[in-house]
Amino acid sequence: MADKQQQVVVKRARHKSSVKDPGTPGVLKMTKDRFTFMANDPSSPVKLNVEFRTIKGHKFTKDGTKQALLNLTQDQGGNYIFEFENFPDRNVCKDFVASAIALSGEAGRTVPEKSAVPIQDEQLSAAEMERRIKLLQEDSDLQKLHKQFVIGGILSEAEFWATRKKLLEQNYSRRPKQRVALKNDMWSTKPLADGQSNRVTFNLTPEIILQIFAEKPAVRQAYLNFVPNKMTEKEFWTKYSRAEYLHSTKNVIAAAAEAAEDEELAVFLKQDDMLVNEARKKIRQVDPTLDMEADEGDDYMHLPIQDHGLPRNDNKDVLDSQYEPYRRSFSQHLNQHAAVVLQGRVIDVELGDTRSVAEALARTKHAELAKDASDVYLDKERLERISRMTEIEDLQAPRDPAVAPLSIKDPRDYFDSQQANAFSTLGDTVSGAKQLKCSVSTREAYCSLKECISEIKFQGLTEPTINSEVAFKVLNGLAQNISSNKYHLGRNPNESILDSLPKITREELLLHWSSIQELLKHFWSSYPITTKYLLTKATKLKDAMSQIYPKLQEIKESVQSDLRHQVSLLVQPMLQVDVLFGNDKWSF
Amino acid sequence: MKFQIEDVTVYFPYDNIYPEQYAYMVELKRALDAKGHCLLEMPTGTGKTIALLSLITSYALSKPSNPIKFIYCTRTVHEMEKTLSELKLLHNYQLQHLGPAAKILALGLSSRKNLCINPTVVSAENRDSVDAACRKLTASWVRELAAENPRIPTCSFFENYEKSASEAILPPGVYTLQDLRAYGKLKGWCPYFLARHMVQLANVVVYSYQYLLDPKVAGIISKEMQRESVVVFDEAHNIDNVCIEALSVSVRMQTLEGATRNINRMSQEIDRFKATDAGRLRAEYNRLVEGLALRGDLPASDAWLANPALPNDILKEAVPGNIRRAEHFLSVLRRLVQYIRGRLQTENVEKEGPVAFVASVNTQAGIDQKMLRFCYDRLHSLMLTLEISDTDEFLHIQTICDFATLVGTYTRGFSIIIEPFDERMPHIPDPVLQLCCHDASLAIKPVFERFQSVVITSGTLSPIDLYPRLLNFNPVVSRSFTMSLTRDCICPMVLTRGSDQLPVSTKYDLRSDPGVEKNYGKLLLEMVSVVPDGIVCFFVSYSYMDGIVNSWHETGLLKEIMQHKLVFIETQDVVETTLALDNYRKACDCGRGAVFFSVARGKVAEGIDFDRHYGRLVIMFGVPFQYTLSRILLARLEYLRDTFQIKEGDFLTFDALRQAAQCVGRVIRSKADYGMMIFADKRYSRHDKRSKLPGWILSHLRDAHLNLSTDMAAHIAREFLRKMAQPYDKTGVMGKKTLLSEADLEKMGNSNLGEMF
Repeated sequence: MADKQQQVVVKRARHKSSVKDPGTPGVLKMTKDRFTFMANDPSSPVKLNVEFRTIKGHKFTKDGTKQALLNLTQDQGGNYIFEFENFPDRNVCKDFVASAIALSGEAGRTVPEKSAVPIQDEQLSAAEMERRIKLLQEDSDLQKLHKQFVIGGILSEAEFWATRKKLLEQNYSRRPKQRVALKNDMWSTKPLADGQSNRVTFNLTPEIILQIFAEKPAVRQAYLNFVPNKMTEKEFWTKYSRAEYLHSTKNVIAAAAEAAEDEELAVFLKQDDMLVNEARKKIRQVDPTLDMEADEGDDYMHLPIQDHGLPRNDNKDVLDSQYEPYRRSFSQHLNQHAAVVLQGRVIDVELGDTRSVAEALARTKHAELAKDASDVYLDKERLERISRMTEIEDLQAPRDPAVAPLSIKDPRDYFDSQQANAFSTLGDTVSGAKQLKCSVSTREAYCSLKECISEIKFQGLTEPTINSEVAFKVLNGLAQNISSNKYHLGRNPNESILDSLPKITREELLLHWSSIQELLKHFWSSYPITTKYLLTKATKLKDAMSQIYPKLQEIKESVQSDLRHQVSLLVQPMLQVDVLFGNDKWSF
Repeated sequence: MKFQIEDVTVYFPYDNIYPEQYAYMVELKRALDAKGHCLLEMPTGTGKTIALLSLITSYALSKPSNPIKFIYCTRTVHEMEKTLSELKLLHNYQLQHLGPAAKILALGLSSRKNLCINPTVVSAENRDSVDAACRKLTASWVRELAAENPRIPTCSFFENYEKSASEAILPPGVYTLQDLRAYGKLKGWCPYFLARHMVQLANVVVYSYQYLLDPKVAGIISKEMQRESVVVFDEAHNIDNVCIEALSVSVRMQTLEGATRNINRMSQEIDRFKATDAGRLRAEYNRLVEGLALRGDLPASDAWLANPALPNDILKEAVPGNIRRAEHFLSVLRRLVQYIRGRLQTENVEKEGPVAFVASVNTQAGIDQKMLRFCYDRLHSLMLTLEISDTDEFLHIQTICDFATLVGTYTRGFSIIIEPFDERMPHIPDPVLQLCCHDASLAIKPVFERFQSVVITSGTLSPIDLYPRLLNFNPVVSRSFTMSLTRDCICPMVLTRGSDQLPVSTKYDLRSDPGVEKNYGKLLLEMVSVVPDGIVCFFVSYSYMDGIVNSWHETGLLKEIMQHKLVFIETQDVVETTLALDNYRKACDCGRGAVFFSVARGKVAEGIDFDRHYGRLVIMFGVPFQYTLSRILLARLEYLRDTFQIKEGDFLTFDALRQAAQCVGRVIRSKADYGMMIFADKRYSRHDKRSKLPGWILSHLRDAHLNLSTDMAAHIAREFLRKMAQPYDKTGVMGKKTLLSEADLEKMGNSNLGEMF
């Protein structure tokens, strides 16, 4: 390394047995593989000489807090706390420790019995470790596999993760997850009434609550105001449901009467003022070529009938104006709903906690409106859009490729999840395959496509490219192979018998399926078998697999006879490898 | 590209041109040469606007010695914006090729509500209150007072504009409303008054129909436009309705109550002035004696809406003696209001002509025709004398005076209809007195007389021979162009029954049939699963739309539709509708796809384009007939029958079909665009209805598509969409060119090109 002074760090520090402990002043000295601490008072019993190998991680206090602490946690659970005189000192040590742990951390962690494995020199930083642990925590399937193979000794830690580099990288760069759109489903106010009693039941899920909050800011505001000070969450939703029920009966007078008695109920029954205000603000942002509100400014007629020949205002009604605030039109609801769905999921919080959902929504809304106030950039963009819109497209050579990039964060994930859908709805489209996004920019892709086309135009098609049917078959086949994961297994309509199996059997089957997939992946990745290490690995894998086969056989026999054939069909692809093993002569 | 049409070099901002655009320009040029009026129908989606703009600006450029002014009228403000942005494109192109010689001044003009930049004024609710708020800050007497007393608020933008005086001009360029506001903010000048001033000097003015057709507005805005102007009414298929509405007034109970309040307030003011400043009232009286109804040199900020009668019909004589004194005039107004109140008490529907009405006013209230006629001018004078700035409060008395002036001025082509209640809700008393004009030619007559060329153009002017009769003018050119298509990019269909073979219609007896509602819903459901991007649905009325959407919601059909696309709906609230439209566009842009429910004859159908992916399919549910029970319509039909020998049925069908064609025509913008149109009503299969559709739709309406059921329509839609998705040769096939380049035009020369069409 270039910076030599980093090889050894010596700083004054106090060693503490706990945070509260006043500590022993002394000198901390760090080298590449160990650190030592000598108390200033030679008679003090505190004397440390620890290898970084045994240090698992480090924690530290924030800059500017009361104490400049560094806490090194040991493998066996002990820890060493040092307090420094100032933050710069601490930070130097902190950085040094971090790199030292990264250098030697992995060595310290590996289980002794696996030390024979050649991939020993992989150095893991604490961060890397944390990431892996987090991944395992998030994904229970992965955890199962990990437990089965790594703890079970069939695969080494490194081997296990080697095939999942991508997963790690992805998390590393903290790429946003593919956002799932809101369901375009109006919460129908149709209550469930059971025939006998007068009780009416509404069904609210966190998803529905999110939708209600997004579509009706007044309800959201009321929730933040009322719960939990004024009423409990349950009371709140009961009240809301009552209001919805009143609306669904379309009895404006009854609604007004109830609202007069109960001011909290009135909040739900009245028109949403926040929406009205929001609309006022938004209307200024609207494309002027759409702005019909501006037309009113040029209307000097003052005639009741402005829409030529349309009958007069239909909803002019018998009712007095006192009921006006309680009238709510379905159209308004419809528009608001669609607008919310179009906007998509603006917040990223766990849906379970109603309060935090409400708060997050209120925050985003607030930020959005504040931003709108004076955005020159938006203005400019709008102008550009208008001028683009006014051009007549075919009188002019195109300016830009008319393609929009798909918003797919992880093509593979998206592809896998689409696969199941694609197979079930695959009419005559190849949508599944189309979604694959390559890394070229749209412009490049467009240019190359244009080139190809002009080339063909110039030369003519000497022979037909590929027959579309053949191409479709190939794509289909490819798609099926690529996505032969357990999602596919579970969702492929051909194998829907999975659903008819008992739950335990199904889960077992899926578990075995994924284990076999995992083992196979490793098995094939060790080919060609050129070293001793690979041979032992392959043998180990094979043994592990052969342990699973009898279990599969068991499952097969345990199911009812009418399903047995289908289950065996299902198990067959898993067993095929066994046949392969049998034929393999292990020629090396 | 640039090319020659006879002696004019036309600058066209694109590389290619459609042959029909070229032919359109040739015809237009002939009309301009002949200094006459013309009537041109060209299908939507052929770039009518740019052809118009391009030819007329080029024509003006080619005759620098005798510059013509170009007045372009649109129906709505958003169309104005669209036109101006096309003009901007053209202007940039002309600047590139001609240099500074091509510089023109073009601007849009709208009301204060859309142009004002004073935050306190513009926050007012509607146009009238914005106008009044502006007046309160800018009227000459307010400014006089403010000069003495600095605590009286004025508008800094207006003051700055006034201070700059003759320096306050717009540099050449194309200004949309937004540009005007931005320029006003930059300079600190009031954009509204700046624009109003610049309108007199501009080469191109884009504004709303009413600024020329409604005498109240035209009187203050368009009074001084030069004769050497070309006036264009674009999208003019409804121009007859605008003309009629410009001369119609309606009076309700609220109007009368408001008018009474106004009269009381004025009489208080008069008393106050008598006590403090009697000289002012005397000065007014003297002026009136001298025959000057109005001071001639009113500052622009004092001007109020002008006389509702047409300029030629306004009497140029002194105000009659018995209303010269302010108190006398007020008592006349009181009697008039009282008389109208009495008439509104009626139990039956009453209809009479202006002559009978005036006679009865004379006998019962002692107000003769001449007094009625001067009501407006006298009121205007009084308001100025009393220095009333909150004009929005005085709308009611103004309406009464408008009514009086019109009824006193015209004897033919009008009728007065008094209805004690709404036809559909007979138990609720809601009396209304309407003065309706039936003769569309009245309001437009001064325009034809004043300007050398008036161009009336639209995508749907069929039957084209009807318009000269309705508007009473002689066009030198009257032509209907067809569309030369590279491929069959429109696919009209007539759907007469649902999948269950039961007929669908919005005819009165079938309208609320659940079977029909279900079949309509199934049709839409079928289509949303087939058609990509945007779909627009038009219904015959708001109430029908609300009803059917609710019933779809209850039966779960709407939920199924929503699984495919987002749903937006037009409401009677403009703000909400505008936002819904904006979101609809966003949904189409991002690929989510959406359906827009709208109403034929509504605001959306009037002026919003659903071109390209914003509308791949339009479904017209039913035939959009006018509300035939309306008395006004019946009176108009009677007038048409008596005057022009047009049969009622024919006119109603013509009117319904032009609306339907207008709705579906919004789907195409250029030939690269494509779209389907479904006319979902069994009545469209009848020849007498169908034949009223414009030729460019009829020519694509195949016999096989005249009597479809839902599943057949869905099949055709699939086939059509697949065909349209294929690449094609834009320049045309089989010898017929549908896209001309500069070279093509030169090669052909003018002579034989005429034969091509």
